[in-house]
Parts: sequence; structure tokens; C-alpha cells
Amino acid sequence: MRKSFVVWLGVAAVMFVVAPILVVRAPYESTMGLVQKIFYYHAPLGMMMFRSAFVSGIAAGIFIFNRRAAADRVSLAAAEITVLFGSLVLITGPMWARKAWGVWWQWDARLTSSLLLWMIFVAYLLVRRYGGPGSDKLSAAVALFGMANVPFVYVSVNVWRTLHPKTSVVPTLQPGMREVFWFCVAAFAVLYGVLLALRVRLATQQAEVERLYLELDDQSELS
Amino acid sequence: MKTRNGVRRCAMSLLLVGLLASAAPALALSAQQPGSQTEAAREGYVPVKDLPPAEQLPAAPLVLGAYALIWVGVLVYVWSISRRLASVDRELVALRRMVDTRR
Repeated sequence: MRKSFVVWLGVAAVMFVVAPILVVRAPYESTMGLVQKIFYYHAPLGMMMFRSAFVSGIAAGIFIFNRRAAADRVSLAAAEITVLFGSLVLITGPMWARKAWGVWWQWDARLTSSLLLWMIFVAYLLVRRYGGPGSDKLSAAVALFGMANVPFVYVSVNVWRTLHPKTSVVPTLQPGMREVFWFCVAAFAVLYGVLLALRVRLATQQAEVERLYLELDDQSELS
Repeated sequence: MKTRNGVRRCAMSLLLVGLLASAAPALALSAQQPGSQTEAAREGYVPVKDLPPAEQLPAAPLVLGAYALIWVGVLVYVWSISRRLASVDRELVALRRMVDTRR
């Protein structure tokens, strides 16, 4: 494990120690009160889910057109993290909604399209796991499809009538809330980078194992 | 390889400690919940904050639950990757030894 990686892991850990302290000290939102504080983790997780879907889609595109195995590994790693972050977004969102809206779930455009995005990347992992030979190319196409869905999820709150807060909430955050929010975004961005690096390393090692098995097979055939 | 595993284990522990330590200040959130407001219900629309305490849904368990879920989710994922990495590393060492002895 490289030294820089350990340093970034330490930075992520420190940021996640500081973030809740800042969240506790942040001012209360006047209408929602305490439950609004879920926003400081929920929204950055959503942003990182979008980012991860883009990373997976772009890497999948590179793999499809240039046949670079490294790009495929990045796409797989990012898809897995998209599912992780997506799961957390889809769980924490309803926890906020239960208090703010009075219901756990509403089939509105933002929630439904987010669920769809998450399901696309779950499909990616399922294709990858059970698709057999050629599943890498098939799953790359699924990742491209998932990436194409991201802009629709983002603008859904502005285009359709939804219960979910609009995209204008973040740019209009009050001082005191704004700094805390962007600190949490930075913490999740660092965490995302660390997790992606870890997962790519795992995929690289797995590829090396496969290569060595093939080499062993070749040696047995020769002897 | 042993040193690399040691560094990895150390790094994982660092992240674990960081995430767990961050759970402590979050407990303070529950203590900060603003006092329930019991204004008389107006005609028609009644803001949630003006409902009597018995009808209000406490926010603290939802906030703490959300934060705890995120930390647990991330920790489980980090643990899962580190376990898979350790297993693949062991397999790699064994395979390299086999390839070298056959050469």
C-alpha cells in the first residue's frame, strides 16, 4: 500500500471526526429543525453517487472504445461504490422524509429516478457477477446507460413537480450552514477517492491472480 | 508483503477509529433538539412544529439512525474490501511461489 494512500485515509478519518462536530454546531433550519441535519450527509452522498456513476460510465466508455483493462477495473470499482452510496442515499432520504413530509416514500420524479439509477448499477454488478464470458463489455454498456441517467435525476426536481427540495437549495444555503455542507462534501469526496483507490487495487490484484493461473496452465501444458 | 499488510491494517484501524470517534459528537445532537412548541391549532393548516408533543414525531432517532447507518455502511464496505484484499494477496503470494518453482 502506497504511503500517499495511507495519508489520504488519515485525512478522511480526521475529516469524519470533525464533520459531526460542525454539523452539531450548524444553525437550525427554521421549519424542519433537527431532522434537517440529515441533509449534511445525505446530499453529499447523493453528489458522490452522481460522481461515481460518471466515473464508472466514462471508464466504461474508454474500455469499450480502447479495450483498456485498467479502465474496466475503474468502471467496476466505481459501479460498486455507486451502489454503496446509492443505498445510503435511498435509506437516509426516507428517514428525513418521514419527519418532513410525513411519509417514508413518495413516487415522485427525483426519488423514482434515483431508485432507477441505483437499480441500473445493481444490474451492472449482477451482469458482472453472473454474466459469464463477455460480461465485461455488456456491463460497460450498462454503466454508460447509468451515466446517461444522472443528468435526468439531477434536473428532475426542477422539471417535474416533486416534494423533494430543488437544486437551488445548495447555492442559497445560509452562512453557517454553507461552510458545514461544503466541508461534508469535501470529506465524502476524500472518502470516495480512498474507497475507489482501494477497490481498484483489489481489482488489479484479482486480475494478476487470473494472469498467474493462466501462466500456471501454460506451464503445465508445456511440461 | 508482511510490512504492506501491516501498513494496510494500520490504515484500516485509523479509518475505523476516525469513523467511530465521530459517532460520539453525534450523540450530542439528540440533546440539542429544540423544545416542543404547543401553540393552539389554527384553522386549516397546522405547521408540524405547532402540533402537540404527543402528535410530533421525534427527529433525534431519525437523525442518529441516518448517521449511524452511513457509518456502518462505510465501515462494512471498508472491512469487506480489506478482507478481500488480504485474501487475494495471500493467493498471489502462493501463486507466485508456484510459478517460480515450476520455472
